[in-house]
Order: sequence, then C-alpha cells, then structure tokens
Amino acid sequence: MIASLKRNPNTIRQGSVVVDIVLLVIALIICFITLYPFYFVIIMSISNPQEVAAMNVFWFPKGFFLGSYELIVRDTKMWWAYSNTLIYVSAGAFLNCLMAVLGAYPLTVRGLIGRKWVVGFILIPMYFAGGLIPSYLLVNQLGMYNTMFAVIIPGMVSIWNIILVRTFFTTIPEGLKESAFIDGASHWQLLFRVVIPISKPIIAVIAIYSIVAIWNSWFDALVYLPNEKLHPLQMYLYRVVVQQSVDLKTLSLQDTRNAVENMLSNIQLKYAIIVFTTLPVIFTYPFFQKYFIKGALLGSLKE
Amino acid sequence: MRATRQPGKRVSFRLRENMQLYLIMLPVLLHIFIFSYIPMYGIVIAFQNYYPGKPFFSFESANWVGLQHFIDFFNGPYFGRLMRNTFLLSFYTLVFGFWVPILFALLLNELKNGIFKKFVQTASYLPHFISNVVVAGMVLSFINADGIINAMVKLFGGESTVALNTEPGYFPAIYTITSIWKSFGWSSILYLASMSSVDPHQYEAAKMDGANRFKQMLHITLPSIRPTIFILLIFAIGNLLSANSEFILLIYNPMVYETADVIGTYLYRDGLLGGNFSLGTAVGLFIALINFSLLYVANALSRKHSDYALW
Repeated sequence: MIASLKRNPNTIRQGSVVVDIVLLVIALIICFITLYPFYFVIIMSISNPQEVAAMNVFWFPKGFFLGSYELIVRDTKMWWAYSNTLIYVSAGAFLNCLMAVLGAYPLTVRGLIGRKWVVGFILIPMYFAGGLIPSYLLVNQLGMYNTMFAVIIPGMVSIWNIILVRTFFTTIPEGLKESAFIDGASHWQLLFRVVIPISKPIIAVIAIYSIVAIWNSWFDALVYLPNEKLHPLQMYLYRVVVQQSVDLKTLSLQDTRNAVENMLSNIQLKYAIIVFTTLPVIFTYPFFQKYFIKGALLGSLKE
Repeated sequence: MRATRQPGKRVSFRLRENMQLYLIMLPVLLHIFIFSYIPMYGIVIAFQNYYPGKPFFSFESANWVGLQHFIDFFNGPYFGRLMRNTFLLSFYTLVFGFWVPILFALLLNELKNGIFKKFVQTASYLPHFISNVVVAGMVLSFINADGIINAMVKLFGGESTVALNTEPGYFPAIYTITSIWKSFGWSSILYLASMSSVDPHQYEAAKMDGANRFKQMLHITLPSIRPTIFILLIFAIGNLLSANSEFILLIYNPMVYETADVIGTYLYRDGLLGGNFSLGTAVGLFIALINFSLLYVANALSRKHSDYALW
C-alpha cells in the first residue's frame, strides 16, 4: 500500500530535488569550514618558506619543503615531551579503566547495603567541587607537586566513566552472574573472569576517552609541573606555539647556517609542529570514532 | 532468594558479600574522598588568612577573617569587568551556539546519501578531538597581523592590517566563533541519537496527511528531541558563569584583558600565580555557588513547565 502511495502524484514534492541540492550545498559548506583550517595548516607546513611568509598559499601547496619538519625532529625537547606524554597516556588510561570498572561493578549488585549513600557520595562532586586552589594545595601537601604523579593520580577516577561502565554492566543478564555464583564464584572472580571479559566494548570506550583527554591535556602540567623535563607534549606546544618562549630557529645554531635554514619562517615552524604533534590523533581518529559515538550515546541514557 | 529457608545464614552471607563489594570499591571511594571531598573542605581557607605552607586542616593556627575576602573581591577594581566578561562570553556561546548543533542534526537527518552523510558527520567531529593548545595556536596565527584572516580581508579589497589579537573589541567574537566551531559537531550526536529513536510510522502517517518534509521536521522530528534540548539547556544555564577559562588562558593577552579576562583566568593569575590563595578560593566558591543556584533554578523551572528535569 505504501508502495502504491509513493507513485501518487501528491507525494512528489516529498522528494523535491531542489531541497536535496540546497541541503547538500549547506553540508558541503559546513565540511569546508571544519576541514579547511587543518588543510591550510598542512599545506602551509610543507610549502616553500618564501611563499608561506608572503601568505601566498591558499588552496594548494606551493613548492615543497620539509626543512621545518627536519628541524623539529632534531629537537630533543620535543622527543622528551613525546615520551612523557606516552607515559601519562598509558598509565592514565590503564588506571582510568581499572577504577571505572572497580567503581561501577558494586553499584550494579542488587544486595549492596547503603547503595543510595554510595551513589550520592560519588555523584555530589559532579555538581560541586572545591576548586582550583584547594586542589592545588592538596596536591602540594601530598608531596606530588612537580612529580609525574601530580598529573596522573588526581585524574585517575572519572565519575563520568563510572556512570558509563555502570550503565553497560546493567545490561549483562542476571542469569550469567547467578550461574557463576552457583559455581561458587566470589564477586572478585565474577568481576575479573566474567564481567570484564564481556565488557571489552565499554572498556575500549573508556580507554579511548582517556587516551584522547590525556593526550590533549596541558593545564594540569601548567599548574603542577614547573620542571620542563616532565612536561607533556601539549605543554611543549604551549611554550612554542602560544607563549613563543622557545625560538625554534636557535635550535640549529650549532649547525652550519646554510641558506635553507635562513629561509625558515617561524610561522611555518609552528604549523609544522602542530601537524607533527596532532598527526597521531588525526590518523587514529577514523578507527576510534565509532567507540566515541558509542560512549556518547551510552552516556546519554537516563540514569 | 538463595537462602530464604535459612535466615541466619542469609544475613552472614549478605554481610560477607557486602564486605567484598566495598573492598572492590575501596580504591575509588578513597580517591573520591581525597581528591574531591578534601578540596571541598579546603574551601574553609576562603574565610581565613591562609599563607602557603600552613595546613588547612588546623583550626588552631587559622586566622579567621569571616567574609573579608568576599568583600574585598566585590569592592576590588576588577569585579565588574570579570563578572561582565565571564557572563557575556558564556552568554554569547549559549545564544549564538546553542541552536547550531540542533540545526546541524536536523540537516544531517535530512541527508539521504549514507556515505556522504557519514563524511559530513566525521568532518564535523574532528575539531572536538584537537587539543585546545593546537586550536589556540591555529587561531592565534590566523588572526595575526599577517595571518590568513587579514590576507582574506585584503583579498576582498579591505584595508585592515590590524592584529586582531590586540584589539579588545574582537575578542568575544573570536572566542565565540572558535567555541562553536570546536563543539557543534560533537554536540549534535545526542540530538541525532534521539532523532533516530523516532518511530518511522509517525513519518508515514504524516506523509499520508500531506505533510511535506519541512512540516514533518517541525511537527515530528523537533518535538521528539525536545527532552534532549531541555536537558542540555539546563546544563548550559548552570554553566553560565564558567566560561571556558582553559581556552581563554591560551588565546588572550594583556592587551585584551578588558574583554577577555574572566573569573577562571583571574583565579589562575592572581590566586594561584600571585599566591592569593584565600582570595582565590573565595572567588571560586562564589562562582560555584552562583552556578549551582542557576542550575537549580533552571531545573526547577523546567520541571514545573515542561516535565523535563535533571533530578
């Protein structure tokens, strides 16, 4: 019946081609607005430095020049920062997943005494927090100031992640747990042998959420880590790109100053360093995108 | 259920079970206690003359000053400017940015080609994954005196060669546009999700009644995402006095403090770097209280008039 309706002349305007074309054009404009800045940064970073300095590059790279990248790759501070970030990301992601699982599991057990109180205890900090300065003083008094712990430990529990994992756990059939109990399992065994193995999708979501968040974070390091040796990549970027306190051109002073290096423009160096430090995120982005969306959707479920 | 026939055994089993469960949670509960609740207690230094090195747990050595720090802040030279900037910057992102993801989700919902739709969606999320530092670095170089924005202005015959980042008048626009650009795609996910749960029969029925695409959107799609809109609006109102200071810290400079300095950045600069711990804590508490009241009022109003509420 619906098929016959579709041939009804009255419904032709449903599929108006004009509307579709207008929508398509708007969508293309939106894509352009979000993608062009990145594209611009990339083509600026590989074009001929003179063209870059003259702001002649708009649509296609003009010339081809990788000298900026060469200079960056030779900067040991950048590699320090890169390896620090890897430490922060791996430790942080692991701890985040572990804590989210440990926090979420007991909340899904029916017989938990005082469940309401525990949930309240966990949720209140979402709405009210002590703020920057009391947290700073606390980290100081715990002796974590200017150590790697200051950016790993305080952030290892995310209430949001606990809620996400809890939501997922509630979808696990009760019967599965019951049968494990009948076989004599304790809650520890149930959690690590049954629940975690079948919760890989949500753990992947949490892991990716924390990886990207930690990879991109800089403010904690700004506040807690005066020692540059401990700085993550984003702090290095902050010093170079925003504060401009690192003059990349001086990095190569000990080398013979050839004509090519004199051609380097500071702005191109900045673009190159943005590309170089953002590349891992951009490259892995298509792979983890589906996990991200899954997480956002799970999180939107009403408690 | 397992032990209804043996009440005594059930109680001991329940206790043992709960001990286990609390043991599992212990690291999390301890962490939350230490890193969330102790800082809340730390707020007491807002009512003291705290100096670095003194533990804020000790009541004996505390030098209580009551509301002095709040009064100092209200009478301070920056109070008006800070409140205005903080409110305005969040207000602009709310007024100019709140409806963007909704419109974008409606647009995506109308796109029929699957692959193209995916592409548009993927492109729109991308800025969300780029760090604030990188976005700030890009913005700063674009708005520079010889950046691409000025180059474009010249291309269209304009004469402007002013460095946009030294002109206070431009800051709110730069901040608002960047914030919207960074978040609209990602924010549209929730709207899209609630749209996808609409029963297709509703559209069929509307078609039979002669509703065109626009009318279907207006009378079916839009009402179906109304709960999501309300919830997100409540959250946004609850954050009206917390402009994204982490991002502002990256793109502002002393020349534009007039329109760019917000509570959060002032707190960092004067409270933390300047060592005014008590004043900074007082300012933070003041803002947290206003934000919470706003959230509370928005939630109460929404529950009364629309039945959608956070709690």
